[in-house]
Amino acid sequence: MPTKRSCARPRRCLHMSERETQSGIPLKPFYTAADVASTDGDGSAREPRAEPGEYPFTRGRLASPRTRDSWIQQELSGEGTPRRSNEQFRELIDKGARGLDVIGDAPTMSSMDPDHPLARHAVGNTGVSICRLKDFEDLYAGLPLTELTLSHSLPPGAFAIAALHRIALRRGFDPKALRGSTILLPAYCEDCSYRIHMPYDLRMRLALDSIEFAAAEMPRFHAFLEDTYYISDGGLNGVEEMALGFVEIREIVRTLIGRGLDVDSFAPRIAILVNCRMDLFEEVAKIRATRRIFARMMREEFGAKDPRSWSCAITAHTSGLSLTMAQPANNIARGAVQGLALALAGVQAVEISCFDEAYRTPSHDSHMVSLRTQQIVQLEAGAGRVADPLGGSYFVESLTDEMERRILEMVTEIESLGTLKEVSESGWFRNLFQNAMTRRARAIQDGSEVQIGLNAFEIPEEQDRLLRDHSESKLEPCWDRIDEIRRFKNERDGAAVAEHFARIREAGAATSGNLVEPIADALEADLTQGEISGALRLGVGEVYDPLGRAEPPI
Amino acid sequence: MAAERPIRILLAILGMDQHEAGAFAVARLLRDAGMEVIYLGRFGTPETVVDAALEEGADIIGLSCHSWEYRYYLDELFALLKRRNLDVPVVVGGSILSQDDRNEIQRKGVAAGFGPDADPDEIVRRIRTLAKARGAA
Repeated sequence: MPTKRSCARPRRCLHMSERETQSGIPLKPFYTAADVASTDGDGSAREPRAEPGEYPFTRGRLASPRTRDSWIQQELSGEGTPRRSNEQFRELIDKGARGLDVIGDAPTMSSMDPDHPLARHAVGNTGVSICRLKDFEDLYAGLPLTELTLSHSLPPGAFAIAALHRIALRRGFDPKALRGSTILLPAYCEDCSYRIHMPYDLRMRLALDSIEFAAAEMPRFHAFLEDTYYISDGGLNGVEEMALGFVEIREIVRTLIGRGLDVDSFAPRIAILVNCRMDLFEEVAKIRATRRIFARMMREEFGAKDPRSWSCAITAHTSGLSLTMAQPANNIARGAVQGLALALAGVQAVEISCFDEAYRTPSHDSHMVSLRTQQIVQLEAGAGRVADPLGGSYFVESLTDEMERRILEMVTEIESLGTLKEVSESGWFRNLFQNAMTRRARAIQDGSEVQIGLNAFEIPEEQDRLLRDHSESKLEPCWDRIDEIRRFKNERDGAAVAEHFARIREAGAATSGNLVEPIADALEADLTQGEISGALRLGVGEVYDPLGRAEPPI
Repeated sequence: MAAERPIRILLAILGMDQHEAGAFAVARLLRDAGMEVIYLGRFGTPETVVDAALEEGADIIGLSCHSWEYRYYLDELFALLKRRNLDVPVVVGGSILSQDDRNEIQRKGVAAGFGPDADPDEIVRRIRTLAKARGAA
């Protein structure tokens, strides 16, 4: 019999989640020295407890955080046209943001141009619409690109890397000065959230080529950002999130080494973008465990010698799934708790999901509240003044060990199922994501996961007005942008388009050669991301438009 | 009296909206309640939805939404249903549907709207009532 969703007496619900962490780790009433093992999960002797900034970096990447710079404060942004998003960036920088993180609308995230027939009501209303080199130029017009961290939640990263590289050359500065990141998720992106409709080998090749290209051309840029946020916010727990992340990192590292690259040539630029849910201590433990797993893996398994290859940069985005439509002001409190968790864990950059996240892409005002939350955690609460303030806590150390053990156990389990390609193509991950989604829906229904205002302490919807009207304001799609892109396609140099379309197709069909350079050339010849993606698909024997609606330019 | 047949509900996501969490959860809920769920998946259009509803003999069309695209597709969907003489109730559920949104789509002709706080029992009950009017159980 289905359990009643709503808790008239919330004490019953709260009781259920008291017994274990969000990942299901049983909790004791309190912890003592006996809970902090002197051996690792695998029974091997642990190295003496290292300080922050020392291998295996459990306690942090750096020995001495500086309060003002302890983490880069940024907010996910992007809406409408690239010009509109450029204004949004300026507003954020004006309010104190030191990095940018741009997200595309649904067509952009799927490598579909705005004039794709299925995109017509989705242009610019869930992120920025980007498909050409000119769009990247408009996006970054007038901004001091070498002084900002430019994060791109725009998969596959090859396009942003190619575009940034060319913009640097056009503006007359060395691409080597560029800092920022592009997200990578070749094994999972077809199975969660936005699909790019490319086969595994092509997705993996785009990822590997991006890393190899950036290692040589943009060495300060994190082309290898494993985005475990993106794959986990459908409902995976912290253990599953990091296990999948490590499985993908390990496969990419192995393959790059197989290509003949020195591990120390790319490993210092591996970063992980993690999710931060509401279980404060588990999230701290997860991040500490992640640093330790990464360090040991890079040094002991992959033979990295450069200490920078052992300490992983971690950036974080707070969970959108943890936010509710009910009582949206509660989301501000959630953001503060999550921001504190990240400050206590010690990360390199933070984005706090905005209070209107459950309704829409962030508004001007909600962006400011999220940035101010970070500033308050940092400068008023002073949470970043000391590295690893929770180090030595019986509970946090014990939880860190247990997270490490469980993450590694799941990595071993997944790797025993076959190659990553086999496991991905078998639908194992899709099944995991689907089960996590239904598991999470049930947890909300039966109250084992509490969301205040949603399944505990509810108020009637007609009384729930605080920040409601603000949150409910909607963005219209940019229909004009569709016309603009159609005109652009009609007016460009047809011969150059045909030539580069053929080149991309050939490059896709070839088994060697880096794809980023031809993609950059094609962008300069006014091909769009949708067209280049289609040409790559044709190159590997797939159809141009998997949705069967768009025609190739030639 | 004819034997009762199970309720057939067609579940779809329109346009570029690609978040499936809600659709999976609702599909599981309705299957557990004994209904036949035909999940059309992502990248639907009013045409593909109406075609499938006809082909599958659906009692109910269910749209899952996590973006605002439904606001523009609904008018097209109702116009097409009318043109094809298909009298199937449309229900819409989604993580982003507020009470005001639900009121708005019900004015457009949607039989029921469910937000993220919808009671699962209520979802099942409403869909059963709508389907019963069409002879399903």
